[in-house]
Amino acid sequence: MPMLRNNRNFIIAYALLVGLPILGLFGVLKSGRGLAAPISLDGTWTVQADTNYLATLPCGKSLAASDLGMTISQSGGSFTLSLGNGTKSTTPGTLVGTSLKAFVVPLLSDGAACRGRELSLLATVDPKSNPRSLSGTISVNDCDTCKPVAFRALRQPSATKGGL
Amino acid sequence: MPNLFTLVLQIAVVLAVCRMVGSLFRLIHQPRVVGEMFAGILLGPSFLGWLAPGLSAHLFPPTSLGFVNALSQVGVMIFMFLVGLGINPKELKHHGHAAVLTSHVSITAPFVLAAFLSLYLYPKLSDESVAFTSFALFMGAAMSITAFPVLARILTEKDLLGSRLGTIAIACAAVDDVTGWCILAYIVLLIRSAHSANPLWLTIGGLIGFALFMIYGVRRALRRFQTIYERQGALSENVLAFMLLLVLSSALLTEWLGLHLLFGAFLMGAIMPKEQKFVRYIVDRFETITITLLLPLFFAFTGLRTNIGLVNGPEMWMYAGLIILVATAGKLGGSMVASWLAGMPLREAAGLGTLMNTRGLMELVILNIGLDIKVISPALFSMMVLMALFTTFMTTPVLELICPDRILRAKVATFSGHPPVPSMTFESSDGTAA
Repeated sequence: MPMLRNNRNFIIAYALLVGLPILGLFGVLKSGRGLAAPISLDGTWTVQADTNYLATLPCGKSLAASDLGMTISQSGGSFTLSLGNGTKSTTPGTLVGTSLKAFVVPLLSDGAACRGRELSLLATVDPKSNPRSLSGTISVNDCDTCKPVAFRALRQPSATKGGL
Repeated sequence: MPNLFTLVLQIAVVLAVCRMVGSLFRLIHQPRVVGEMFAGILLGPSFLGWLAPGLSAHLFPPTSLGFVNALSQVGVMIFMFLVGLGINPKELKHHGHAAVLTSHVSITAPFVLAAFLSLYLYPKLSDESVAFTSFALFMGAAMSITAFPVLARILTEKDLLGSRLGTIAIACAAVDDVTGWCILAYIVLLIRSAHSANPLWLTIGGLIGFALFMIYGVRRALRRFQTIYERQGALSENVLAFMLLLVLSSALLTEWLGLHLLFGAFLMGAIMPKEQKFVRYIVDRFETITITLLLPLFFAFTGLRTNIGLVNGPEMWMYAGLIILVATAGKLGGSMVASWLAGMPLREAAGLGTLMNTRGLMELVILNIGLDIKVISPALFSMMVLMALFTTFMTTPVLELICPDRILRAKVATFSGHPPVPSMTFESSDGTAA
């Protein structure tokens, strides 16, 4: 490799190909600090709602029967939400600003009246609350007589990070 | 307590699927590890969970995954010890300026490009709980890593370990991995310290003290292993158990100091004596169960965490494409340009870039750490796993295309460089490589 046999050429090549990019990296890190990412929703939430009324809704039986906790797994502005005990209804959702929206496909155990329908979950996150909270409604789509059920959720303190 | 029936069933299924898919990949001239990585994805929500959700839930109930994970982490810990064992920092000294420049560019180019890409991806795939600096540094470290063992395996298969291309690739990959792990250590430290009661300076001080103690104290004592091996031609079970105990202690200490188990295991391997026969002997003792049993569990666990369904819609696929493009341009392009500028013929330089672009299992290890410390989101994790699969899969055919064997073999005969440590191929008789 003749080109770099001489130390001067090596130093110039090294400065151009390694030194300059590292300087660029510092610039990127500095400018990136000003970027805003979506609000954090990730974690396990406890939900408070009128479960008695929820159970009377065409598609609310299985939700009301569970402990109504939910787990959110977030990837930027989209997330997956697992309702109930986390093993039954998992649904994708979107987050825009502080508003989140998800459509829950009900379980078969909710009966024939529920088939083809879905539940809408609309909520607003309070970004200043600690622990983080959100409030909103759960409603049955295509059901004019069904009143939306209001709910409030509180995020549980996160488990220790980093453990494999 | 784990449900033993479920656990054994899971191990059996994982083993069977990994061996089967690995063998199929061997038929298309891919390293078995690529097939096993792919098998992991097949067992997860991306394929089995999508095709037969009932069977998937029965085979891999969420409550049972902790045990699969624990077993797989033991495997990864031993694997990291073996990776450290195979890395010989002295190798780089034999290759002069060209190798130094190539190895450093092959880190900085993908690292800086990944940081630039982070400016675009951070607002879309991360959230406010992750600082941009951590996100960008993690992306950089994840994109600049090279799968040292897979690379060594490919070079062995092509009989290129003694070639100029082979020796420079091995030396550069060793430097890349050590650098990548140091950067990752810093990121893990940064993130974990935010949740730790101890101040950051105390953790850093403790780790530096530990590393110095290992390098200047324990390292000397470890030479005793080699002396025993040279005298007796083998190591007794007690000695091997003691060596394993040292690996576990080192891993536990780094975890206790606030870093991660895997760093301690890697460090213990890195400071072990590097005499070729000794290294080969140790690798032979530890690799069989690790590679045939424990690492497939790691692939399965990774696959179970990978949900390609999260890469949903054209926008998300565009992000995935960008990640693959940037990773390849940075690693392949960076290494190629640097080695070409250093005087390597263009074809050979392209071959080196292709080899350096192999990420394999090392990438999966890093990505799992990133997901655990929540510096990357599940969707980004899935995209990065796709990138690892793609870049590892492309290595063999692209190398054959741009740098055919007949050209490279001619160089083997004329090259008189220092041959690398052959033990790092991690190969079993059937071509397994991690």
